[in-house]
Parts: sequence; C-alpha cells; structure tokens
Amino acid sequence: MESKSRWRLIAIAFATLLLVSLGIAACGDDDEEETTAAPDVEVEEFGADTTMGKIQEAGEMNIGVKFDVPPFGFNNPQTGEVEGFDVDLGRYIAARLGVEPVFREANSDNRIPLLVDGTIDLILSTMTITEERDLEIDFSEPYYVANGDVLVPTGSDIQALDDLNGNRVCTALGSTYQETIKEEAPDAELRLVDLYSQCLELIQTDAVDAVSTDNVILTGMVIQDDTLELLGLNYTKEPYGAGIPDGDTEFKEFVDESIQQYIDDGTWEENYETWVGQYVPEEQQQGPPDITLEEALKLFPLEK
Amino acid sequence: MSELWGVLEEHLPEFSAGLWVTFRLVAASLLIAIGVGTAVAALRVAPLRWLNRIGGVYVETFRNVPLLVLLIIAFAGIRRAGIPIDPWVAGIASLGLYTAAYIAEALRSGVFAVGKGQIDAALSLGLSYPRTMRRIVLPQAFRTVIPALSSLVIAMIKNSAIVGASLVALPDLLKSARQVQADTAQTNEVFFWAAIGYLLLTVTATLGFRYLERTYAIKR
Repeated sequence: MESKSRWRLIAIAFATLLLVSLGIAACGDDDEEETTAAPDVEVEEFGADTTMGKIQEAGEMNIGVKFDVPPFGFNNPQTGEVEGFDVDLGRYIAARLGVEPVFREANSDNRIPLLVDGTIDLILSTMTITEERDLEIDFSEPYYVANGDVLVPTGSDIQALDDLNGNRVCTALGSTYQETIKEEAPDAELRLVDLYSQCLELIQTDAVDAVSTDNVILTGMVIQDDTLELLGLNYTKEPYGAGIPDGDTEFKEFVDESIQQYIDDGTWEENYETWVGQYVPEEQQQGPPDITLEEALKLFPLEK
Repeated sequence: MSELWGVLEEHLPEFSAGLWVTFRLVAASLLIAIGVGTAVAALRVAPLRWLNRIGGVYVETFRNVPLLVLLIIAFAGIRRAGIPIDPWVAGIASLGLYTAAYIAEALRSGVFAVGKGQIDAALSLGLSYPRTMRRIVLPQAFRTVIPALSSLVIAMIKNSAIVGASLVALPDLLKSARQVQADTAQTNEVFFWAAIGYLLLTVTATLGFRYLERTYAIKR
C-alpha cells in the first residue's frame, strides 16, 4: 500500500516536471528569431495580389539566413539572436514593408527548396549568383561581392591553390566551391559537409587540411579561432544575390529597389564596417558591389 | 522518363562510387556487429552475475545513445582528445558497435528459446559452459533469430546513411546523390536512383537471409 502511493507520488512529480518543461519550451523560440528594433524607413502599401501585399497581409516576412556563418548570419550565443550582415539587410527590407522579419535557418543545401516550397519569402544566405541556380529561382542585383579563399592552420605547408592537390579540403555541399575546387585542384580530397561550422570543427581537429569558401565566411572562422589563417588568394569572385521566387518580377523589382536604397542611404557602408570592415586589413576593405546581375551571372555560367 | 535515365547515365560513376563506399561501410560494420553482438549475448546469458552486468552495460549504452551522437563522439570527440582517428574507423566502429547491441538482444532472446533442459543436459554430460554455448545453445539460437537478424541488418544498411550525413562525411551513396543533386538540381530523379541503390543492398541482404533461413531452419 505504502509503496503504491510512493509510486503515485513519483508519477505525479514526473508528470509535473514534464508539463513545466513543455511550458518552458513553448515560451522559448525554436528555430526562428524575431527582430528587436526596426530600421526607420518609409512604408509603402502594396496591392493584395502582389507578393509584397501578401507579406504585409501576413504581417511577417520569412527570411532564410545562415545560422552558423559569422559575420553574415549567425546565432549569437550571448544574445540568443540571429545577427549579421545578411540579417541586417533582411531587417531593412522587411522594414520597407512595415512587417516583422522572421529569420529561418537556410543552409547551402536546403535554401532553394525552402524558397521554392514557400517556407521562406526571401533568401539572404551568402548565396553566390549562378546561372544554374537562376534556373530555379530569380536573383536580385548583387548586394555583396565576396572572393574565394583558402583557410589553413597557421604555418601549414599549403600556400597556394595547387597545394590543395593531395590534401583534404572541406567545403559545403551544394556550394559553388564543390565544382570550383574540382577544377582548380583536381586531386584534392573533398570533404563535403552540410554546414560551414562543421568545416571549422574538422580543421580544428586536423580531420581536414584546409577549408575553401568565400573569404568573409573564412574570416568569421579566424575571428573564432586565431590559430587559423587566410591565404589571401582571392581566386574567385562571388557576388551574393538575394534569392527570389522564380518569375516574381514585381517582388524582384521591390528587392532591387530596397538594395539600391540600402546602398545609397549609407546603411550598406555602416553595416559593412560593423560586420566585416573592422576585421579585415585596410587594403582588403571594399565598397558596395560594382557589378550588375547580368555580369554576375556570366561568372558562373551553366556548363556545356 | 528520359530525364530519369539521363541522370543515371551521366552520373553513373558518382552513383557507383557512392554505392561501393556504402557497401564497404555496411560489410565491415556487419562483421563487427555480429562478432561483438555474439560475444555480448554470451556475456548476457553467462551464469556469472558480473558478466551479465558487463553485457547489460554494453547493451544499454549503445542501444540508448542515438547513432548520430555516437558518431560525433567517435569522430570529433576522439580527435579533440588528440587521437587522430580515421573517418572510416570512426564510421565503421560506431555503426558496428551500435548494431551489435541490438544483435546481442536478438541473440539473447534466441538463447532463451533453447530449452533449459538442453543446457542442463549438456553440463551434466561434462561439457564446459563455453562449449555448451558454442556447440549446443548458440547454433540453435542463431537459427531462431534469423528473421530478427534480417530486420536488424536491413536497418543497419539504412542507418549507414547517417554515417555519411554526419560530421564523419564519408562519400557514401546518399552523399554522392546529394552532390549530383546540387550539380543538376534534378531532385526527384537523383533520389529515385539513390533509393534504388539502397534497395539493391537491402534486397540482397533479404535474399541472403532467406537462403540462410531455408538452409538452417529447424524443420517444423
């Protein structure tokens, strides 16, 4: 009798614990983050049949950003919020519609499917403009130009692109580098992972000899671990574009306008300094992109 | 339809390389799983309590930790500890030891299916305990659990995809397919062929076990 009631007590305690933890989980955010302060820009009303109108109707704009790529899109463990250059641009565009941005994790491999199936309205996920991707989605005008570079542990024997041959090189599955590295260093042993943070883990544990991708992403890794260094090869030019659902010309126009305004009113420069400028030497600093979408597409043409 | 064949024709080298990696991963893990699984099952049914305990701790450890967590510990964890473990070793060990826990449990149920009278008889005839196990109990136990083993091996073949998708990043069938998918953007076609690749392995395993079942089954 006594043991029976004790079991009941344990069961009640357990159930309470479960309910409380569920409650806490419900209060916390899962994989989305909402903005705190919206930038101060004019809001225009759009017709209900346009994508902009639909977003305004919903009151929120779902934007796919990276969650593990400082300084463009990363979940800051100190604030618990997603931050970065891409995130700030997303906030700016959402503010032009007068809606709340909701940032969802979109990595190199899943961002296009997420946009195509409508889970997200816009991709701002360090995405290089390529003709192949342009078949499935549309691109905005370039909003940033990164360069391809190689990250190695300080003092590595790898000093040039050629040295990648015969070495283990990490990059993200579905990124432009999957192909680029095969062309530039055919004998490199590729390690393809889902997230750039996994490349960092692999190079820190000596499971790969080098990481190759956009210099800004690699700079983010050096900020986290100063035993690594960039070679400064700048062997590719990677213009980033916002990903827009295929054929949505009105929305593309709106995003292009937003980006132009973002550059013209000085917000671009401001955010560049915050996220990139302060971490790179003077001579490597850059301004807003000086390349058009048309030119950018020619940099990564379709094969054949 | 033509696109379906086109993808296969054009990317056959990638698909077959991936299938070969998956096959080797599965084959090596299976050897470990059956070897370790049998040993652990023997511990679990041994007449000594502390041996049972050791077997129990093994089973509960490897059965209750998600494979993905095991893989991260076996690769990143061990490398962080300063031991340069190879991705293949980490992948095979994780998948093999994980599956071994399930195989041990299946075999244990098979051992219990062998009548206690048979064990008593063997022991009273002067056979040692290990010999009783090896000659009398385990052969019958294996027969009984062939259908269960078949399911476990199929599950293991499918679990091998987790090894490739994890930090271990072996270029297995799924990874090759995703690489082709990133190149071609033909999602449906690419994953159709990946599914066929896994099906080739699982159907082969099923047929193998069916043969074993027919050959060694206790006639009823």
